[in-house]
Amino acid sequence: MKKEDPVEPRSGRRSFMGLLGAAVGSAGIAVAAETVSHEAVAASAAGEPRSVAKPKIPGYDWSEHQWAFGVDATKCIGCLRCVEACKTENDVAGDAHHFRTWVERYVTLEGEDKARIDSQADPVNIAASGSEKEYRFANRYKDAKVEKAFFVPKLCNHCTHPACVQVCPTGATFKTADGVVLIDHTYCIGCQYCVQACPYGARFFNAEKQVTDKCTWCYHRITKGLLPACVEVCPTSARVFGDRNDKESPISLFIKENRVQVLRRETGNAPNVFYVGIDKEVV
Amino acid sequence: MPKHIVRLLILMVLFAAFAYGAKQYFTVGSYYSYGHYRGNAVADIASDKPKFKGSASCAPCHAEQSTEWSSGVHNSAELGKVVKCEVCHGAGGERDVKGPFEPAPTGRDHPDHLKLAIPTDTAKLCTLCHEQMAGRPAQQKQIVVATHAGTLQCTTCHDPHSPRTIAGAVLATAPPGDPAAGKAMAAVCAGCHGAPAAAGPSLDGQREAYLADAIRAYKAGLRANPIMLAMVQNLSDANIRDLAAYYAGQSCRSAGNGETAAAAASEAAITANCVVCHGADGVSRQPLWPNLAGLSRNYLAEAVKSYRDGGRKNKSMSAMASGLTDINAADLAAYYSNISCR
Amino acid sequence: MESLFIAAPYTGYVYPNETVFPWSVLIVVYPYLTGLVAGAFTVSSLYQVFGFERLRPVAHFALLSSLCLMIFVPTPLLLHLGHAERAFNALLTPHLTSAMAMFGYISAFYVLLLMLENWFVFRPYIVEQAQKRRGLPGLVYRVASLGSNDVSEKAMRYDRKWIFALAVIGIPAAHGLHGYVGFVFGSLKSREWWSSDLMPVIFLFSAIISGTALLIVLYVVSCWLRKVRIDLACLKGMGYAMWGFMMFALVLEGVEFGALVYRGREGIDVIMEFVAGPLIVPFFILQFAVGAVTPILMLSYLFWRGTGGTPLAVGIVVSAVLVMFSVLMMRYNVVIGGQEIAKTGKGLLTFQFEFFGRDGILAAASVLVAPLILLSVVVRFLPPWHDPVAP
Repeated sequence: MKKEDPVEPRSGRRSFMGLLGAAVGSAGIAVAAETVSHEAVAASAAGEPRSVAKPKIPGYDWSEHQWAFGVDATKCIGCLRCVEACKTENDVAGDAHHFRTWVERYVTLEGEDKARIDSQADPVNIAASGSEKEYRFANRYKDAKVEKAFFVPKLCNHCTHPACVQVCPTGATFKTADGVVLIDHTYCIGCQYCVQACPYGARFFNAEKQVTDKCTWCYHRITKGLLPACVEVCPTSARVFGDRNDKESPISLFIKENRVQVLRRETGNAPNVFYVGIDKEVV
Repeated sequence: MPKHIVRLLILMVLFAAFAYGAKQYFTVGSYYSYGHYRGNAVADIASDKPKFKGSASCAPCHAEQSTEWSSGVHNSAELGKVVKCEVCHGAGGERDVKGPFEPAPTGRDHPDHLKLAIPTDTAKLCTLCHEQMAGRPAQQKQIVVATHAGTLQCTTCHDPHSPRTIAGAVLATAPPGDPAAGKAMAAVCAGCHGAPAAAGPSLDGQREAYLADAIRAYKAGLRANPIMLAMVQNLSDANIRDLAAYYAGQSCRSAGNGETAAAAASEAAITANCVVCHGADGVSRQPLWPNLAGLSRNYLAEAVKSYRDGGRKNKSMSAMASGLTDINAADLAAYYSNISCR
Repeated sequence: MESLFIAAPYTGYVYPNETVFPWSVLIVVYPYLTGLVAGAFTVSSLYQVFGFERLRPVAHFALLSSLCLMIFVPTPLLLHLGHAERAFNALLTPHLTSAMAMFGYISAFYVLLLMLENWFVFRPYIVEQAQKRRGLPGLVYRVASLGSNDVSEKAMRYDRKWIFALAVIGIPAAHGLHGYVGFVFGSLKSREWWSSDLMPVIFLFSAIISGTALLIVLYVVSCWLRKVRIDLACLKGMGYAMWGFMMFALVLEGVEFGALVYRGREGIDVIMEFVAGPLIVPFFILQFAVGAVTPILMLSYLFWRGTGGTPLAVGIVVSAVLVMFSVLMMRYNVVIGGQEIAKTGKGLLTFQFEFFGRDGILAAASVLVAPLILLSVVVRFLPPWHDPVAP
């Protein structure tokens, strides 16, 4: 075929290519360019929060707050009131496979190298509570020689660079100006790419709504001056919540007075849940 | 250019225009307001109604419980240990009646037209936090269920709103009494409480807190006994503590009443309920609960009946004694009175 | 109410939310289909762009197959979505940092490109039918011809230029489309099993071999159905392409796996436990031994001995079937395997198959068969065996 084809003058070829590119690509390019321009507007606006409109939340100005969460694992008693409260407050499915927050137990027995880990979702613990809707840790190490044991509450880290937001194809999940990662349940297409991308296992698929679901730090509560439900019910103050813009807030003092760490720092997600008293094995 | 190419290009331009127009038309208005998301979503999410209302919202209607709770150990704000109302009662803004919760007997609707509920299975509820378990920090009060109370409900002894309150009395940390001062006063008591066979029950080696509590009850008329009232009405609280300290420091002298046959016959009457607090050996587990070993048969039987009939008032004991007949009471008395406390 | 999800059994410690697999067999089918598209397109480009004359009998067939497959590429995704009716949100407000948001644009562009190239390739036939046929088919052909019956040498020269240009653009587009699918997995830092820079390249090479293998099978089946003699030179050409690319693919997979094990980062214990246990049958036996080593050895033997005739045809077709199976298993081992290793790095999950239902095997199989049915219909209206550019 090539041999039979006299080589077309360069100009002719260029015009073909140009026309093709202009026509086929114009839709995509126009759409992409427009999107980029929106992004640029939004990005430049973020730098000067005073000049932009704010969400209409009565009595709440999101530019005044920067929320953060603290967990003092040395105080956690593993009562799981937080887990049940979260499910109630946020209508999370009452089963052992969907949690916005959960508690892990790390137990190292004498003579063993690795910690034995379980959460309230473990079948043994579900058997102890007698229902998938209620949670309690079974006293399974009652008769064992325990060298070291502790509980670690877990929840969404509301990362500064959230991998889940990065991969969301539609912008249904996003990071607010006050530092909370939210999901727009009316816009989510339910592809679950974000579930895959979260290194912390904090996201799950809401089978009833057919969208992804996760912890919101009880955004509907904190914008009304209340604490997240899990913090509200924690009987030992193992969970701490507050505004980092307020230097006297519980979380600011928590970070100032303790040597805090975050989970999976190597992912570069920069979590905003700060931990005290966790061990090397905590994942 | 050939006709088909021109037409193709026109088609492609039309498609591009259509695609762009569709994107403009269908993109939600508030999109890009604050970033790459639907701007109104933020306010939508924030508009949800909180279900947990906080303890302050319970206080206006439940003043009594609220006061009790706020001065109790479950409200130790300085330790960061605050067990708020909704931790045990569930969210005030929503009532899902399930599990260990049941509707309150009042049947009144909650402000949110939801049934109020009180936990009934406290043995299950309280142990969520207080069962001894690997991983719980040492500062958390923990019990070994089997040896602490067995299958009994926690509320049998503890007031859930202020759990240090055991069966109506606060485990007070009053200054200790002076046994020497108590000995001087005890001369008056010896007439009735001296020898094992005396009219009143033996006090030697009895639990100190129980003794003090008993004297206070006589003094306040809570235990109606004219003789005892006369004996103790002028005692100060320091006197009471001194007396209690004296008697508690004495060693118990009773070797049992020797009615071994009667005791053996009645042993079956002793239930786990008695044993949990007073011990199979008649030695109590808590300072507020009396030792029963070697007390007089008559005194013990009368005490059980008195609790049953409301003469002596104690929530736990009334509950325990409520189903007992006079014969049961006699059996219990026969058993404990025969135990040597030496 | 029926259970809305399937909980997977596990060993060790997994995050509570991990017990429900986010991605099911449909997401196995999706990269498999895009791979077949890219592979089939490669075969057609080898002729259209690189001048492999011996592939001429399948060049147009490959193009048509590519289009039929591509039309069905979005279906496994749409079936998988919780809200398929909102799928256009990804096109309306594409999130530029998301690999998945670009899918809509890349695939739409690629569908257009395939349609255009097919149109140009089949235009002489369309014009001929438009003039010949009456009634509804005639009307369809006349609409498809855009009302122009110009098949003059000048017009054909224009067409050839377009075909060449489209084929040239199509190569990076097809491979970009599939490389991007590899990126969807390789770019995730949450899963050690996926997180690899080589993932896009591995996907690409396995795509090429699977597409070539599909064409081998389809070509032989079509010859058999049409009772036409198989062009052995063409078949052997495709066999060579598959053979060569397979070696690349194998080496790449070996390098990737070796690097993963050698780096031995956190969680490698569980990965090794996975490799030595649940992965033995699907990976080492099915994907590697049966699907890759066997056909390579078989093809090497055939080419070395210079076998011809029916034994060669049978050997190549059997190899092609095995290769297609191998690539399907590779997709399975990546997509499902990756999710079977818990993010905690301390536990393993076991995927639970579902037969019926939206995410089930039946749906996945239907999605795989549908393009072939479409292809069998389309070849009646646009016969690719008809040599449209006969000089």
